[in-house]
Parts: sequence; structure tokens; C-alpha cells
Amino acid sequence: MLAAGAAVAVLAALPLVYLVVRAGQAGGDRVVAVLTRPRTWELAANTVLLVAAVCLGCLVLGVTTAVLVVRIRLPAPGLWWVLASLPLAIPSYITAFAWLAAWPGLNGFWPVVGVMVLACTPYVTIPVLAALRLADAGPEDVARTLGRGPVAAFATVTLPQVLPAALAGSLLVALYTLSDFGAIALLRYQALTWAVHASYTGTLDRVTAAVLALVLTAFALAMVLAERRVRRRATAGRAVVATRRADPVSLGPWATAATATGLAAVAALSLLLPPAVLASRILRAGTAPDWVDLARSAVTTLALGAVAAALVVVLAVPVGVLAARYRGRSVGVVESLAYLGHGLPGIVVGLALVFLSLGLLPALYQTAPVLVFAYAVLFLPKAVGATRAAVERVPTSVEEVSRTLGRSALGTWFAVTGRQAWPGIAAGGLLVAVTTMKELPATLMLRPIGLDTLATDLWQHTSMGAYGAAAPAALLLVLVASVPAWFLSERGRRR
Amino acid sequence: MTGDGIVLRVRGVSAGYGGRRGPLVLRDVDLDVHAGEFVSVLGVSGSGKTTLLRTVAGLHPVATGTVEMRGRDLARVAPQHRGIGLVPQEGALFGHLTVARNVGYGLRRLRGPERARRVAELLARLELDGLAGRMPHELSGGQRQRVALARALAPEPAVVLLDEPFANLDAGLRAAVRADVVATLRAAGTAAILITHDQDEAFSVSDRVAVLHEGRIVQDDEPEILYSAPATEWLARFVGAATLLRGESDGAVVDTPLGPVRHRPGRPGVVTAVVRPEQVRLGEPGVSALVVAVEFHGHARLVRLAVADGTTATARVPADAGAPRPGEATTVSVTGTVHVLRTGAGSSDRTTVGHG
Amino acid sequence: MSTPRRRLALLAGALTAALALSACGGGSTPAAPATTAASGDRTLVVYSGREEALVGELIKQFEQTSGIKVETRYGSTTELAAQLLEEGDRTPAQVFLSQESGALGAVAAAGHLTTLPADVTSAVPANYTSKDGSWVGLTGRARVIAYDSRTYAADQVPGDITELVQPQWKGKIAIAPTNASFQAHVTALRVTAGEEAARAWVQGLKANEPQIHRNNTAILEAVNAGTAGLGLINHYYWARSETDPTTLRAQLKFGDPGSVSALVNVTGAGILKGAAQSPEAAEFVKFLVSPQAQKYFAEKTAEYPLVAGAGAPKAVPPLDRLGGPDIDLAQLSSVRTTVEMLTQEGLV
Repeated sequence: MLAAGAAVAVLAALPLVYLVVRAGQAGGDRVVAVLTRPRTWELAANTVLLVAAVCLGCLVLGVTTAVLVVRIRLPAPGLWWVLASLPLAIPSYITAFAWLAAWPGLNGFWPVVGVMVLACTPYVTIPVLAALRLADAGPEDVARTLGRGPVAAFATVTLPQVLPAALAGSLLVALYTLSDFGAIALLRYQALTWAVHASYTGTLDRVTAAVLALVLTAFALAMVLAERRVRRRATAGRAVVATRRADPVSLGPWATAATATGLAAVAALSLLLPPAVLASRILRAGTAPDWVDLARSAVTTLALGAVAAALVVVLAVPVGVLAARYRGRSVGVVESLAYLGHGLPGIVVGLALVFLSLGLLPALYQTAPVLVFAYAVLFLPKAVGATRAAVERVPTSVEEVSRTLGRSALGTWFAVTGRQAWPGIAAGGLLVAVTTMKELPATLMLRPIGLDTLATDLWQHTSMGAYGAAAPAALLLVLVASVPAWFLSERGRRR
Repeated sequence: MTGDGIVLRVRGVSAGYGGRRGPLVLRDVDLDVHAGEFVSVLGVSGSGKTTLLRTVAGLHPVATGTVEMRGRDLARVAPQHRGIGLVPQEGALFGHLTVARNVGYGLRRLRGPERARRVAELLARLELDGLAGRMPHELSGGQRQRVALARALAPEPAVVLLDEPFANLDAGLRAAVRADVVATLRAAGTAAILITHDQDEAFSVSDRVAVLHEGRIVQDDEPEILYSAPATEWLARFVGAATLLRGESDGAVVDTPLGPVRHRPGRPGVVTAVVRPEQVRLGEPGVSALVVAVEFHGHARLVRLAVADGTTATARVPADAGAPRPGEATTVSVTGTVHVLRTGAGSSDRTTVGHG
Repeated sequence: MSTPRRRLALLAGALTAALALSACGGGSTPAAPATTAASGDRTLVVYSGREEALVGELIKQFEQTSGIKVETRYGSTTELAAQLLEEGDRTPAQVFLSQESGALGAVAAAGHLTTLPADVTSAVPANYTSKDGSWVGLTGRARVIAYDSRTYAADQVPGDITELVQPQWKGKIAIAPTNASFQAHVTALRVTAGEEAARAWVQGLKANEPQIHRNNTAILEAVNAGTAGLGLINHYYWARSETDPTTLRAQLKFGDPGSVSALVNVTGAGILKGAAQSPEAAEFVKFLVSPQAQKYFAEKTAEYPLVAGAGAPKAVPPLDRLGGPDIDLAQLSSVRTTVEMLTQEGLV
């Protein structure tokens, strides 16, 4: 088990290692030259500024949404839960594309912030919703008896309870903003991902791209570490089980209507506007979309998603079981390495695998296996996390009983643990499939000649300014991604 | 109680969930708490105990009825202005604040040094000194409850409400923490309402026990009276083990399957005698019975008996006395004066019932 | 409980179906060119630094007339040149189609291009193709400034790109510094005005906070939408417009004759070393200089055909009246130095 886990971990770490090697080969002077040029600082500053603004926006919007949904009595309460998490189905670059199609020439800082905030807010909303729902109302009651009004009691007692969850969520937002390529490139904001791609496409030796990719990776890994730390603190004081959950507050009809309208407006902006713009672009284009091409891209996208998900689940199971069932230094290292992809932006993995495949396995360069491997590196953490959680939920005592009833360790896994954990593991696989289908930058760099996914289709058409031609792919992408997203959010709500 | 006067008066309170038309959880509840008094509200889960407590604290709306504090109607007083302390289940400490800041939370009105002095004083009183800088998750269950009490006492409330504060403590720890808490409250002279489902707990610490059943207070008395003279058969069984025997009374003695039993004089007629296990004697002249089972409880044994007509009874025998064995034949009789309940014609209770 | 389980089963089913599809998809989408070549079909792998919108249809025409299946990887010219340099002999590419001559020169200089047959290179005037026959020029295109005609009159727009560093153009200029045509333009400036002057110009341009775009199309869109005042592009992005280009909001200013602003560069093609013996590659390049292809370029993409008699694009001045500077296209192959300069000065 440890051997299998270690092998997976090595595979996951390979691209980053090779990227470092590759940057090193260029010589220290080149690396230092790229690092010290003002432009690199400018790009880093742009990136940090964007990340900060998006985090702040998501924090405010996400916490507000969650508080309203949990604490205000609204019509159709379940609906708001789903609406709050559904934007995950719409990739940021689709929103960016829709905004561009609606307002050509849109570009720069604020539009990117807007797109990213709408796309990433669920990463804050969902954990805060859960934390608020699980939060013990006892402390708030006590605060009331100790001289605080309802709002003050909520703000001083319950909000701090959910703040770690919100903070951890916003660090995820930071990570995704840092890694985002599509929206940033479409809206021409000069952040690091854009610069990696620009120097990849616009320079001859790719050293600049490699060094910028490493700078980006450093930022991203810092976010991952910070997020882990905050999350640990967030779960540290969670031993207490809620004895009573807060009842939602009934507002007057007008205030309720205003709240519902506000929530609906945000949902419409992030969920309805993009498809509406896309649909109108298709109608306005007048010419029928190229259905054959579209169907081919859709099948390719689905197939890549499914294959990647299958591979990732196979890789994730040993690591996830290891992490759930064993403690120790080596297990910790294996798990951390498997999580590495979480902190690697798609563009970095893409670039690293271009180098890696050309350098070590030229026969595989720009073939589907390398592309699927990139997906595996990028999305392994999602499946490992899901597997770990699912296995942890199966009590070890059940396994022990099975062993005393004459099953081997492996037999127990198949007869008991695996049977009980599989829905969680499958959900992880599904998440991987969805994310794979939406992936853009690594796909752009690694796809075999002639292989188009919906995402690359969209990208190519927009680079030609053909919004009408790109719209069907975008719409299809939203459709493909939203089915499992709906399913996942339903699961989350039921839990 | 003494003539200290009533601090808290609950009159005719009804409350429910789900708005005006929702089902009522509390019906027409009356409850008085005198200054310095320790009152328990005893009930099974779902009886409305916690709702009553939240209603008193102002955290749950009253449908009808009034809550008064020292004669002042609290209907329009928000929880933060009532001067009522709350110790919920599990303590509900503020997880993001240290022990000291938890205790100091309600002392906003005090200036820094004063507040620190008050916090230190409370921590000392509850033997929590040295834990001021700890975070709640670093405390043991008992420590957590003591911090919760210190926090509630900090602003010197007139009444403290305790919502099953000991329910989740280990059995050994529970008695010790409970004793500390009660001693602290008594020392501070603060009136308290303790919510509990544990009749031993309610009896051992309370000046008075109010039993809440399906949203109504069915009896409100001193523990001894509640035990020896329960108002209904349900109560008789709820507050302790009891053998209920129906029989014809001549006004002073009731004829039961365990023989004639004395009770306080009253009208003749059919009554139900509430016989506590300690009133049942074995081996003395009486009705012959069969020992069915024997339970050892350390300080005593409980002996389950069956008499010829099928009636069962429970006797408490001191642990140092010779123990009968299951299957042995013995004789059984009832000693002392028992409590009897007048049985209405329409009573649905069975004639003879086992033990509670 | 039953509903989520059924849903899960449904999803599992869908995934299985997708997997099955992927098996078919994997067969129809060529994963590696080698496998499809072995199947007996005639295939050709082209790296195209020219957009699909410009050459896609032409490649289809070639497939139809020749029966050869062409697999095209589209990308930016510089990106593909970098890729060819990185891949070296291992490249799957057989033909490199470039947006401009510099990238071809750089790949040729690294020894990755084979010498083309004389009948191909001789079809084009000597000043528009390589000296050593390593690549052939296909079409000529002028560097121009597209301007927003609602904001500026033609005479307000500089005919000399060196004027773009003046403060009045701050924030108004759109460029695509990762685009090979822009880079070639800077190379031309380096060649004609010298390294220092070129660097000063790049610095001035950067200081003028230009809008950075992905490519020429995006620049033209921006100018046409009025979000950029001026844009440095190639003439045909404008001239090939389906609506009469002279009615567009974006209009073109051709560079002052004789100045570097009037640079006429060429698009071109070369055959990779590994495909030296490939009849398909030779056939494709020969097709590109054929009357059919040249006519396509003139009519469909509004480029200047380099083979005589293929006509001329509409709405733009004829090639011989552009007055391009006296630069040998071979001199433009020092792309690497240009890119280094752009990187150092922070445009890339």
C-alpha cells in the first residue's frame, strides 16, 4: 500500500521537479535576470492585487449570501443552497467570454475581479453555509443573556465561529484566482498566468516561461500552506457538537422579498447571464454552428473527462486509504506530495509536461496519455480528499469485525470498506471529470494535434474574434459541467 | 421558602414553534422562583424544558402568558436587558475566545482593570485559576462547565438558567461538578433554574422541583413531598421506583395484594397505593411471595417479587442483610404509611402495575 | 435514500458510456501521427503559425485535390518556432507555415529546415524568399497602423511608428508583443535604426502603457470597437473583412514609404529536415506557390501573392507602391535578440 502510494506521489511530484531542473539548466544568470527585471515584479504585483481584491469580494459576497440563506426565513430554502453552489459549473473563462460578447472591448482589472468573484464565491459560500448550519446556537443565546443585541451577538459569537471556514475558503479562492488563465487572458489582465502563456507563445527559448511558472508556483504553494494552516485551526475547536441550531429569522414581507431578490440577482448574474448572452450570440450569428465539429469536441471532452477520472480514482485510492488509515511521517509525505497538484496552476503543469515529455519521453510528446497524466497531476488532490473522507467515515471497528469473521485485509476492503466508501470515492471521480472537462491552459499546451476539446474550441474561436462561432461550445461546456455540479451540490445539501 | 420574595414569576405561559398556528410546546405554565432559590425543572426529553428556559431568557417568543422579574413584566425586554444568566448544554463557550475573555464577555460596562479583577475573582471561585489563557477546546468537560457558569455569573444576574449542564459529563465527574456549581450559586445567593431529565440530580440539589410533562407543569413541590406524595400515577413512577397497588380503602387502610396497607386517613373507596421499595419488607409475617430476581446496587439490593395473583412488587433490602436467591419463597408485607391516589372511575391505569 | 442512489447509478452509467465513446474517439482522433501514417493513408503534419481562419480553408482545398490528410497544429508563429527548436529532430512536424520570415530564418539557422526544390523557390521573386532555399515566401503583407476613424482623421495618425512613443498616444496603442509580426517589426527597427534606438523605442512604447493583446485579430477588434485608438497589425486582417473594409470603423494607415513603418514582410513555409524525403510535404509546399493557392491568398485573405499573375487584394494599394524599406528579409532572422529585448523591457 505504501509502495503504491509512494509511486503515485513520485508521479505527482515529477512535473514540478522537472520544471525546476529545466529552469536550472538555463543557468543561474538567466534565472536571476528574469527574476530581477522590473517586469516580473510588475506581474507579481498585478497578480497579488488581483488575488487580494477577488478574495475580499468573495469573502464579503460569500459570507453575506451564506448568512442570508441560513439565518433568514426565505421561500424555497433549498433552492438558495443549490443556487449558491451552482456557479461552480460555469468556468470563469465562460463568464469572461460572455461578458466580452456582451460588451466588446471589456478588459482590465475590475472586469477580471467581477468575473472571478462571481465564479469563485461558492468556495466561500459553501463552507460558510455548512459551518453556519452546524454552528451551535448556544453561544449566541448566551451572548444575548450577557447583554448583546441579536446582531451584536451574531457578529461577536457566531461569525467568529465560521470565520475560519470563510478564511480557508477565501484562500482557496486565492489559489484559483492565482491559477486562472482563461478569464485573465480573455480580459487581458497581465497577471503571472497570462505572462507564462505569453512568454511560452511569444519567446523562443522558454526560460522566461519556466522561471515565471516557478514564481507562480511559489505563490500558489504559499496559498496552499496558508489554507492548510487555517483549516487546521478551523477544525481544532470543532469537537463540540451543536446542541441547538439557530432558527431562521422571519423578516417582514418586504425585507424578505428584498433579500430574495438580492440573492436571485447575484445568481442570475453568475448563472443566467452567461448562457443568455451565449444563446443570443448564437442566434445573432445567423449561421448554423458546425455541429459535426462541435459533437466531436464534446465527445472528446467527455472521453477525456471520463478517462482522467478513472485514472485519477485508481491513483487516488491507495493514497486516500493510506491517509485515512495510517499515521506516520512517510504517509504524511506521500499525502502531501499527492496534494501538490492542488498548488500547481494548470499552465505550470502544462509547461512542465511539455518539457518533461520532450526531454524524457519524446515519443509521448503531445499525445493523449501525457494530457491525461497532466489532468491526473492537477486533479489527484480532489480524488484523494474524497477518498480519504469516504474511507474515514467507515469505522475501523467494522473492518475489525470483518477480519475476525475470516476475511483478509484485501477481502475486507472489497466486502466492507470499499462498499461503504464507494459513493464518496465516485463523487470525487465525478468532480475530477467535471474539472477536467473545463480545463483550458494545460489542454492548450499538451493536446495532440487535431484534438479539440470544447474549451480549446472556444479559445480558438475567441482568438479569431468569432464570438458567435464560439458560443455553442461555451454553452455546451456549461451544460456538461452543470449536470454533475448539480448532483454534487444536491449531495452536499443532503449531508 | 423564606420571605425573600419572588424574583421570577412565570404565569400562564404558552409557547410553540412555527409561528402562531404552530403546535404548542408549553401550555399554561406557572413557575415562581424566590430569591436565592434553586429550582429544578424535571422532564423527559421533548417535554418542553428547554423551550421553557429559552422563553424565560427571552430567546423564544411567548404565545400567551407573562414572565415577570421582580414584579416587572419582561414581555418587551430583550434578552440582553433581562439580567438572566444562561448556561446551556455543553457550556457553549465562545470557541474563538480564551477562558478569561469568555468570562469577561458580559462585562463590557466595566473598565479594563475592574473587569480583569472580576474575571480573576470568578475564576478563583470556580477553581479555574491558571486556565485564564486557555482556549475552550483545551479544557476538560468539567472545566468547560465551570467556565460557562463563571461567564453567566459575571454580570451578577438575578437568576441563572442551567440547561442540562451536567448531562454530558462522566458519571464520576458529574456529582463533583454539580456540587461545585450548586455551592457557587448558593454562595453568590443567585437564584437558579436547573433543567434536567435526571430525577436523582433534581432531588439532590434543589429546593424545589417542578415536573414538566407534555408542556405542562404537573407538580411543583419540595423534593421530599414530590417523592412521598406524587400527584398522579405517572408522577409516582417518574420520580422513583414504585409499586402501584389498587385496592379498596376503608378510609385508613387499603386492602392490596400485598396485604393491608396503612395510609393517611381519607375518604373510603377505591384508591391506588404508591408503595416505594423501601416500604416493602421481606421475611416478616405477610403474604407469601416468590423471589423472581435480585439486583445488587452496592448500598442496597432490589428484590423483584411475585405474589400468587400475579402482582409484582419491588423491595429494597440493605446490602448487608442476607440476600434471598431467585426462586426462593418468602413473605412480603408493607410497612409505614403509604401515599394513596384517589382513582377516578374513568382512570385508564391498570389495577396493579409493576415498579417504576 | 433511493433517489440519490439511483442518480448515482445513472451517472455511473453515463460515465461508462463516455468511456466507451472515448475508445471510439481515441480511434478517430489521431493520437500520434506515426500510427495513422502506418495505416496506409497519405498524411502530413503541419505546424501553422497562421490562424485557422486564414489558412484552414486552403488546407482543406489541398486535402481535396491531393487526397492527403493534413493534421495541423495551430499556434502562434513564435510558439511553434520555439517548439520546433525544442523538439529538434524529434518533431512530428513536416511543414512549418510561418506568419513571417524571421521565425523561418531562426528555425533554418538552427539547421532544422531542409532545402526546398528549386522549382518551388524560383516561383517567387528572390527578394521575398530565402537566399539558401531553406524556406519559401508565400505572400507579402504590410505592417500598418489601424486607427479608430471616429476619433482620428487619417492625417492625424502617424505614418512613422517611431512617433508612437509620443505622450499623446499614451494608453491609446494596441500591440501584440508575443506576435511574430510585431517582433519582426521590432527586428526591422533594430536592423535599420540600430540596437540602441530600437531599445529606446521599445522603452518609450512600454512607458506609453500600450494595450497588450493576444494577436492581430484582437487588436483590430479593439480598434473597431473603439476601445483602442491605434493598433499595430498586418494589413490583411483588415482587408479580408467580409463587409467592405473601407466602411469599417477601423481604418488603415500605411507607413511612410521608405521608412521601417512600411515594412513588407512575407509569410512563408519550410520543410523540416525529418521530412526531407516526404512527397506529401513537397507536394504541399508546391501547392502553396501554385496559382490556386496564390489566388486564394489574394482573394480570401487579402494578402499580396508573390507569384505573378495571381491577382491582387482589394481595398489596399498594390505591393510595388508600398515603398517598403530596403531590408533583406534574411536580416530579420535575429528574432531571438528581439525577443530578449522585449523580455528585458517588459513587453513580454
